[in-house]
Amino acid sequence: MDHALISLEKVTKVYGGGTRALNEVTLSFEKDEWTTIMGPSGSGKTTLLNIIGCLDLPTSGMVYIAGKEVSGAGQAALTRLRRENIGLIFQQYHLVPYLTALENVMLAQYYHGSPDETKAVAALKNVGLEHRFDYPPAHLSGGEQQRVCIARALVNEPAILLADEPTGNLDQTNGNMVLQLIQRLHEEGRAIVLVTHNPDISELGDRTIRIVDGSVDQDFKSGGDRNGE
Amino acid sequence: MFVQLLRKSILRRKSRFAMGVASVLIGAAVVTALFTVSLGVGDQVGQEFAKYGANLMLQPQSNTIQIGLPGVSIGSVTEQKYMNESDLWMIKTIEHRANVLGFAPFLYQVVTVGDGPNAQQAILAGTYFNKTIQIPQPASPQDHSEFSTGIADISSWWKVTGNWITDQNDTTSAMVGSNVAQKLNLTVGDSFRVSYAGAQNGTAATNAKELKVAGVVESGGPEDNQIFVNLPVAQDLSSRPGKVDAVQVSALCVRCPVADMASEIQGKIPGVQGTTITQLTNAEMSTLDKYQSMMVLVTAVALLASTMGIFTTMTANVAERRREIGLMKSIGAENRTIAALFLAEATLTGLIGGIAGFGVGIVLAQFIGLSVFSTTIPLRWEVLAVAIPVAIGVSLLASALPVRRATAVEPAIVLRGE
Repeated sequence: MDHALISLEKVTKVYGGGTRALNEVTLSFEKDEWTTIMGPSGSGKTTLLNIIGCLDLPTSGMVYIAGKEVSGAGQAALTRLRRENIGLIFQQYHLVPYLTALENVMLAQYYHGSPDETKAVAALKNVGLEHRFDYPPAHLSGGEQQRVCIARALVNEPAILLADEPTGNLDQTNGNMVLQLIQRLHEEGRAIVLVTHNPDISELGDRTIRIVDGSVDQDFKSGGDRNGE
Repeated sequence: MFVQLLRKSILRRKSRFAMGVASVLIGAAVVTALFTVSLGVGDQVGQEFAKYGANLMLQPQSNTIQIGLPGVSIGSVTEQKYMNESDLWMIKTIEHRANVLGFAPFLYQVVTVGDGPNAQQAILAGTYFNKTIQIPQPASPQDHSEFSTGIADISSWWKVTGNWITDQNDTTSAMVGSNVAQKLNLTVGDSFRVSYAGAQNGTAATNAKELKVAGVVESGGPEDNQIFVNLPVAQDLSSRPGKVDAVQVSALCVRCPVADMASEIQGKIPGVQGTTITQLTNAEMSTLDKYQSMMVLVTAVALLASTMGIFTTMTANVAERRREIGLMKSIGAENRTIAALFLAEATLTGLIGGIAGFGVGIVLAQFIGLSVFSTTIPLRWEVLAVAIPVAIGVSLLASALPVRRATAVEPAIVLRGE
């Protein structure tokens, strides 16, 4: 646990209405590890991802990101941690509609305090969008928008990539393209935490955690397809 | 990146931005119009009030007879003290001399008009119609040594049929009050005879004079019952050379220190008592106060309307961009960066609305000037220095709560799919 990139100790999250989304969850995520989180709707997957991604704080318990305890951090400190350590990939892409693909990528750099067009261009090339720099999201296909989202998540070179149903809105072809991209990023040494309903995707990762009713129901090694285990 | 973000976010919501600008424009236009009118019309207001007549009456100190102002009936002139016509130039040497628009002396006498059984009594007033007086010792080297004044300056509201007497040496013309003209059946061009019976060197004597009607005066006041002639005519008729009963002074100013002016004149001309026509001064003050209160009220209402307009626009803007704000925060935007984006938009809204409002306000000021004061209002650039900060201030103030809501958006909403 000392070397873990992310550690959660007895993390509980209770929302305003009294809904207990997470119940004393203890987990750790290693560097270079691809973890797939599965579970039925409302089981607490997204809440778990929010807490790992420093988007939300637990009601009780401890959270460590890159060795720093964050459960008592203020909003400003969480924002700092997020932009320095975490890249987010969303099911709905969440691109700023009035900015071009390149500007969307540079937005993450701007908030990171290190705008660099060359790097942003490289990030877009890395996801195969070298011909779409000046296109606004409305002129891109779903798969292309998701790749812009991935380029934006990557451009500041975060240690952890969090993906929430990254292929949920994509057809098979585009979904496979995105998964291959994530796989490549993982092979380059990034920790991936991916939430999905699709058991086939979990096979691509190193480990699968199944959440049910806010608790860890199963936590097992997976990824036989990828590494031949 | 910030400028790009601001520019593109505004361009994407052009109509909403235009609504915000329009809201600011209304407030800025009203502020500009009323401030411009307020600054530019001060003198006009003074002149408007000057049209209502004199607001300072000079009389010999012991003279208790009240004469000559609208609404005050004139009594018969009995033995009394007089002021010297030769002292009147000193009125233009007081400290507030610039505020003296004009003055007119009056020498009153009861005369008999006509002969025989049809003879009627009337009040004859000798005055200046339009006389150039000499100022032998101006108060300052920059002052003129001549001053043109008379009843035409201080009673410009008189409705005259026929002509004013313009020649100060005309000893045969008279301007007749409308009631007198009606009673004596006089019209412009008619001749009539006036006679004055008084004591002269201890014996009874009668002086008579043939006069011709130059114009008929209708003022709605006591002037309608009087006959006006050049001052020397009245002085000759009653054998009181160089004497006047009273002087009406019209002070051209808004909130001018009429009482101070009265004291100054008393100090300059011995034996003279100055009385301010407080009724008129108070009315002037009261009207100005009401005008200014109205201006403040209208401005406040307009600014409130602007504030509500911008608040609504900005609130809708924040609500519409909630997910975008959440996204920005999720990828590392701090609250101050989000606030800066919206406040910059509010500042730009205020700036553009303020400049446009200034332009519209200038046009509005001209409309007010022409319709209310029958004059154009000069452009006052200093109003721009008020209108723009007010416009930006209102825009920022109205945006404060929406911006607070923007910064309160949780980044977690992007994952929750809200």
